[in-house]
Amino acid sequence: MKKAFVRALGIAAAVGLGVALTGCGGSSGTTGAVSGDGEYDGPKVDITFWHGWTGGAAPTLVPKLIEQFNSEHDNIVVKNVPQEWGDIAAKMPLAIKAGKGPDVAVLHGDDLATYAAQKLLLNADDIVDGLGYTADDFPPGVFEAGDYKDTQYAIPWSVTPLGLFVNMEVLGQAGITEIPTDQESYTAALEALKNVGVQGEWVDGYVFTGTFEFESLLWQFGGDLYNEDVTQATFNSEAGVQALTWMTDLVKDGYSPANVAQDGNIKALLAGQTAFNWNGVWQTTNSAFADLDWQAAPVPQIGTEQAVWSSSTHWVFPANKGQDADKTAAAATFVKWMNDNSAGWAETGELPADNEVRNDPTLVQNYPNLQPFMDELEYAHYETVSPGITEANALITTAINEALTGKKSPQEALDDAAKKADQILKQNQAKYGG
Amino acid sequence: MAEIVTTPAVAPQREGAGGSGGTPASRARTGRRRTLVAYLFLAPFLILFLTFVVAPAIFGLWISVTDYSPFSDVQNFVGLQNYIALFDPNSTFSGDFWQSMGATAIFVVLSVPCLVLVPLGIALLLNRRIRAATTFRTVFFAPYVLGVAVIGVIWGYILDTQSGILNHLLGLIGLPDDIPWTVNVPWVWVTLVGVTVWWTMGLNTVIFLAGLKGINADLYEAASLDGAGPWRSFLNVTVPGLRPVMLFITTTTVLASANMFGQSYLLTAGGPGNATRTAIMYIADQGLSQNNMAPAAAMSYVLFAFLAIISVINFRLQRERVERTVA
Repeated sequence: MKKAFVRALGIAAAVGLGVALTGCGGSSGTTGAVSGDGEYDGPKVDITFWHGWTGGAAPTLVPKLIEQFNSEHDNIVVKNVPQEWGDIAAKMPLAIKAGKGPDVAVLHGDDLATYAAQKLLLNADDIVDGLGYTADDFPPGVFEAGDYKDTQYAIPWSVTPLGLFVNMEVLGQAGITEIPTDQESYTAALEALKNVGVQGEWVDGYVFTGTFEFESLLWQFGGDLYNEDVTQATFNSEAGVQALTWMTDLVKDGYSPANVAQDGNIKALLAGQTAFNWNGVWQTTNSAFADLDWQAAPVPQIGTEQAVWSSSTHWVFPANKGQDADKTAAAATFVKWMNDNSAGWAETGELPADNEVRNDPTLVQNYPNLQPFMDELEYAHYETVSPGITEANALITTAINEALTGKKSPQEALDDAAKKADQILKQNQAKYGG
Repeated sequence: MAEIVTTPAVAPQREGAGGSGGTPASRARTGRRRTLVAYLFLAPFLILFLTFVVAPAIFGLWISVTDYSPFSDVQNFVGLQNYIALFDPNSTFSGDFWQSMGATAIFVVLSVPCLVLVPLGIALLLNRRIRAATTFRTVFFAPYVLGVAVIGVIWGYILDTQSGILNHLLGLIGLPDDIPWTVNVPWVWVTLVGVTVWWTMGLNTVIFLAGLKGINADLYEAASLDGAGPWRSFLNVTVPGLRPVMLFITTTTVLASANMFGQSYLLTAGGPGNATRTAIMYIADQGLSQNNMAPAAAMSYVLFAFLAIISVINFRLQRERVERTVA
């Protein structure tokens, strides 16, 4: 408690100081365009690379890739700066404003617009052209996530769709060998499991993974999170209520226990207490699965359309105050090289976004569990592109939590959240200049 | 300030007593030098205090009366608008802010009595001459050294509704085995208070123990000669003897509980809904994650005002009692 307080105070003081130092900096953040064609031949430069991969296989993989890149390029030295995603969110905007941000960084899809609106990123149109990337080089919808107000600010790096993880041994207890694919077969499997005393899918009301399941279902029932220009929340539509009711019914019908704690469902899958878990592709490399008879599959189609939630990560070029164009050009070379050499990236449980790399047959040979996730990319929905959207998205999780713990009905919970989200969206327009 | 002024006044007196005196002028000079030396040694702390406490506090106050955004180049003075918005039910922040203040109040009311009485009881037990007292003292103090992240992971595993150890054990002795410790009310409060008491009671215990050691043993002897039993001597000797310590502990514990953040952030994620989202959690989210720094600064000053008032009331109440006992 005291420690938490001291820490919070420390953060507040540090941020306050950082703000104080940068506040006097005057105007900064020019959104100048810089080009790069993948072959940097200027003077020798040191560039810094910020990213949030601190867990799993990434801490060994990223330095290895960088080392290889550095050894192949005489005039570029990349410095690896890994830190928690949360720390990046807190530090990077201020660092960029102060001219001390990285030369290249990786961000999640739902952060891109927030950064772009704040003029923290360089217009990457010319870089993208120079490197020869178009939307066709990536799965549908990913490239567009880097587009804010008709300017491209980012190059896709990886995609991370949701999938269905199945404990085959538990499924076998109900005499089922085929993994269900639609509402009918899924419900039948849950019923069969219930008959042998197994609650087949444990549904939770947290970001991992209840929210992503809800969003997948919302799209499956034909709804959407927000309206076209993201000025109004629409997740409380009939489709949204159908989706959330389907989730609360899992509890009501006894297919799921009530009050599942955060991560309780993946723990249950690993412990052989449940058969299904809707979870992200990143779990495919979870070492806890090693001794388990498990398989991954596309999420079943519960609604009328095929759809699944996915996140994505993107390369960006920060608009540091006084950013050196040579460094950005070198960073573009690094990005192209990393994308081209990202086959090993699958080891971290993320799918390389570059079609050519991902569709190389050796990738699936090495990582067969990725196949079902790759199959989903045709109909995957990515996170909403709008500045400050994460604040509105957080309300969806609260609504799901309230409905699943019986505090409110699905309709009531979603309506309350949507009302609040509309307020936030309006506020965001004022805050980020619409 | 008062203390700084009195210091040089004391120093010459001592010199005079030692007989090494000198002229009044040289005495004054020595006094000034001593003051200077004292200031020099105090200066580093003063500088740190000014830089990291006073300056950010003033800066925060300024932020709270502007439409501050770290990303806009011009900040406009908006007066008390950010404060007024907190009391306007139609603003985006007021509902969530007061809910988080309510959650904080619930936590303070539930946790502070436990965090005072439980350590007091343990300190009384440890104060007896028992075997392995040091071991027990260590056992009670040990959790305090753990970071909140460790606490979150440990108790997350123990308290998981379906696969937690605690519910499993409860099931074995025939009690309900599906208690949602970290998921639903009222259990989340039991969890947050219980975990906090387990984690932080060591510090208060040690302070109480030091206070108990400071009570003159003669008083207990006198009390027993007067025919007082253990309960009477606790009430008439121990409790008055611990009053200054009690004032310190209640004040620091109230402040610490009001600033609770990590436990609910890690164990309950602020849920169910936003029921356990504390004021600090909400302020940190608004200020640091959502870039609403100006309203967040205003919120933190409202929280500060509440805590200041509570601390003053607490001081007044306990100080009066101290005076009465002395009289």
